[in-house]
Amino acid sequence: MANKNENYNPSKEEFKFVNKEDKIFDKKFETKPVGYFKDAMIRFSKNKTNVVASAILFTLIFLSILVPFISSKNAKYLEEELAFLGPRIPILEKFGIADGTSYREGVPVDPDTYDLETGLALPAGYRPEAIYMDTLENFTVSCNDRSLKCVGGANRLSVDNGSDQTAITSQTFYEFNQASNPYLLIEILEFVNDGTATLEVQVIPEFGGNFETIQTIDSAGTYEIYPYEQYTDLVFPITSKVRLKLNSSTTNNSVSIKRIELYDDTQEDPLISESGYTLSQYNINGDIGGGLFVRENGELTQANFKYDDYKSALGNKRESGLGNVEFTTIMEANPQCEAENIPNDPTNYELPETCPIQKIIKQNEAVVVDGEEYFSYEVIINYQLYAGYESTPYFLFGTDSSGRDLFKLLWIAIRTSLLLGFVAASINITIGIIFGSISGYYGGLTDLLMQRFAEIVGRIPWLVTLSIFMALFGPGIQTLLLILIVSGWIRVASITRTQFYRYKRREYVLASRTLGSKDARLIFRHILPNGIGTIITASILSIPAVIFTESTLSYLGFGIGHGQNFEVFGLSFSGVSVGVLLADSRNYLIEYPHLTIFPAALISILMITFNMFGNALRDAFNPSLRGAEK
Amino acid sequence: MIKYTFIRTVWIFIILAIILTINFVILKLAPEFPPTTEDARNIFYARQVTDGYMTVRVEKDPVIIDEIEDDESALCASTKTWCKAEEDSQGNAQYRIYEPIPVGIQFGRYIKNIVTDWNWGYSTRIAVNTPVFDILKQRIPITMRLNLIALVFYIPIGFTLGIIAALFKDRLADNIISLGVMIFISIPSFVVMTMLVMWFAYSLGWFPTQFPADNVVGLNSLKGIFLPVLGLSFLAIAGLTRLTRAELTEVLTSEFLLLARTKGLTKTQAVIRHALRNSMVPLVPSIIFSFVGLLSGSIVIEKIYGIPGTGRVYLNALVPGSYDYNVLLAVTAFYTTIGLFAVLLVDLSYGLVDPRIRMGAKK
Repeated sequence: MANKNENYNPSKEEFKFVNKEDKIFDKKFETKPVGYFKDAMIRFSKNKTNVVASAILFTLIFLSILVPFISSKNAKYLEEELAFLGPRIPILEKFGIADGTSYREGVPVDPDTYDLETGLALPAGYRPEAIYMDTLENFTVSCNDRSLKCVGGANRLSVDNGSDQTAITSQTFYEFNQASNPYLLIEILEFVNDGTATLEVQVIPEFGGNFETIQTIDSAGTYEIYPYEQYTDLVFPITSKVRLKLNSSTTNNSVSIKRIELYDDTQEDPLISESGYTLSQYNINGDIGGGLFVRENGELTQANFKYDDYKSALGNKRESGLGNVEFTTIMEANPQCEAENIPNDPTNYELPETCPIQKIIKQNEAVVVDGEEYFSYEVIINYQLYAGYESTPYFLFGTDSSGRDLFKLLWIAIRTSLLLGFVAASINITIGIIFGSISGYYGGLTDLLMQRFAEIVGRIPWLVTLSIFMALFGPGIQTLLLILIVSGWIRVASITRTQFYRYKRREYVLASRTLGSKDARLIFRHILPNGIGTIITASILSIPAVIFTESTLSYLGFGIGHGQNFEVFGLSFSGVSVGVLLADSRNYLIEYPHLTIFPAALISILMITFNMFGNALRDAFNPSLRGAEK
Repeated sequence: MIKYTFIRTVWIFIILAIILTINFVILKLAPEFPPTTEDARNIFYARQVTDGYMTVRVEKDPVIIDEIEDDESALCASTKTWCKAEEDSQGNAQYRIYEPIPVGIQFGRYIKNIVTDWNWGYSTRIAVNTPVFDILKQRIPITMRLNLIALVFYIPIGFTLGIIAALFKDRLADNIISLGVMIFISIPSFVVMTMLVMWFAYSLGWFPTQFPADNVVGLNSLKGIFLPVLGLSFLAIAGLTRLTRAELTEVLTSEFLLLARTKGLTKTQAVIRHALRNSMVPLVPSIIFSFVGLLSGSIVIEKIYGIPGTGRVYLNALVPGSYDYNVLLAVTAFYTTIGLFAVLLVDLSYGLVDPRIRMGAKK
């Protein structure tokens, strides 16, 4: 640009005529003319960002059509065993990302699985074969809850506000056998005492009698109590629950009890030993005052470990009631099971390893209904083969709460969203064009009235339309489409109206009218085709707007949902849209973030690229921008 | 100007009346969902009669009573009417039949009740037999406060970004801002809000995961407002930035700005004194409209973040199969009124913001 402005004085010799001899007025152009569409294409492809966005958009649309057809995974039925699996992606899994494992923290262990060699116990409720043993570690945390997993510690007894005594009674009966010199051992760790409190140890010495105090304690220490020192003349052995009664005038006094044990001469170990959890199970007597009996300083062993969720979900499982009908179906579908070899009434019969049913433990009793015999098998099934996977499947985006493949489900959802977008947008465009044409062509009073009507409809808040259609039709595809259409056509109508105002006074329209064309012909044959490019390209942007609204409404639960189906042009579509998926995942935001992240990311990409594509298309088809790009 | 103001005001009221009428008539014609318990029903229907929406009569004719008891009465099968079995003082069976009066007259009474007694009817489901306005009274301040904070929060940010983008058009800053605008205009607000809650509340733990209760004060209360305000603002910021950029770029290329530069103003002076002021004209209406957008957009945010505002009341009243029409009518009237008055304000503000515009003036 700059050098054009410089002063430049050409000398006379530099001037020379081009084609002085030839006559060029009836020669053909050597270059091709740049038509409307070519011009648009040039402008469209100038902006590289938009080209990339459009490419991504069309890939998304293509995938949403393709994936639901080619993916063999389940995206429809409930498959509880496979619920909440994490994403597992080929290649990436080699780097430890998205490999279907998860790191579990703070899982309480099962004390019975304690391994002397390693000093580790396995987490309760997890399958040992799916745990990465090299990552397993145990640690203890303090706990105060009355559960079996919380071990050790003491139990503290205190009175309630407003009462001056309370008592706890053991659940087990203590048997004091006079012959073997029994004694009761009570260890008191701490006795917070302002001087007035006492703890009475009580038993029922005679069957059917009342509790009697055998010892009164007022400070910490370990006490050995021999009941027969008190009841020397008793004939029958004492068989009684033990009761501890705390007398205290204030709530500040409390007694921390470590253990209560029963010893006698027959053995060195205690006959009964109650501490920690078992001690915490002592009942508070409701009829004696009121008080608190809480655990303190307990220890809970927890485990951190890496867990292979896929292995766990797809491993062998015991199924106690596999019906004979399903059994037969499986056998017929899997010839490698060699069903003909199964004996009558099989017990512990092992099938070939490639068979979904690994072992028949037993056959349950049969029921006869209407002459048909029904019975079930108790079997061990290999869930992977049972679910129809030859090797461990790759659920690229994981599975949702019902065990459906999120990857396939998401593409189905996007297909639904796109389809609804296209359907609603085409209805909007049709209505808008017809309304705008009539309004713009006739003008005057017709135009005025139609504009007022459009304004009123356009001013109705979506809350009003939503409540009206919900009350009339309930949630579903019908309500959704109506809400999308009610105010969606107005923009198209106003664009169309403007186009009509632009073209209706042109000479070619006048010429056609002079030749006797009717209004309809003028509108649809002459004016509309001229404006249609602008109208359509401006309306493309209403598709993402529709998808936007649709997903929001479905998210709020007013649109479509699981289990709904609708038909368009004879094709049946699932009622799952991205909004529905995101609404589902709302409850699992922390535990299973992949259920939120993937749908959110995909709908964002879809919306962004669609908007960029729409904007690019609108700019490309806008003739006033011709040559504006550098 | 006076004539124009008058015509616009009247026209807005006409639209308001039409929308409210349609809303009322359709909702009253839809299947009724009265309170579920017998006691609440007694009170509700008695109020319907005193408020003038229903008539009540006692049916003693044994033939008709038999008909009702055999479920053959078309009258009692309708959800609009209520046939309540009773005994008179002699112990004979009788029915008390509540019947609605024609919808047109009901609407008249509805308007009259609102104008004379400020009586918006009574809730049937979400807080049974509570006056609807009492429910809204507690919720409106929460929603309004949230939206006003969002408004105060987003306007300066949107302006600044838009001005930066316009001044550095087609340079790196502009490209980044434009890309951000594209992204935030495209992503639905429920996705944005979910992500914000996921990252800032659950993962990082900087903010509460739910809107704090009324009794929370001080810092925690402030923290609770941050995420919803952010969630509300993203779309608005993107919209305002885009508009400011577009308007300012147009003004920057205009001739009067060239003149300003020519007469010796620096670029900063020219931009601040001439360009900004002129680009303000279409921004004021857009801000007024965006407030309406914020209000209705906050429904989603309120649901995700558990904010007890009007949006939540609306969603609770719109639970499928358990609609609370009186509450719906009041909430939608609230939103419609605010929306339409915003339109009126915009129409009238054109002339104030830019004296060159004489609305309604003859050419």
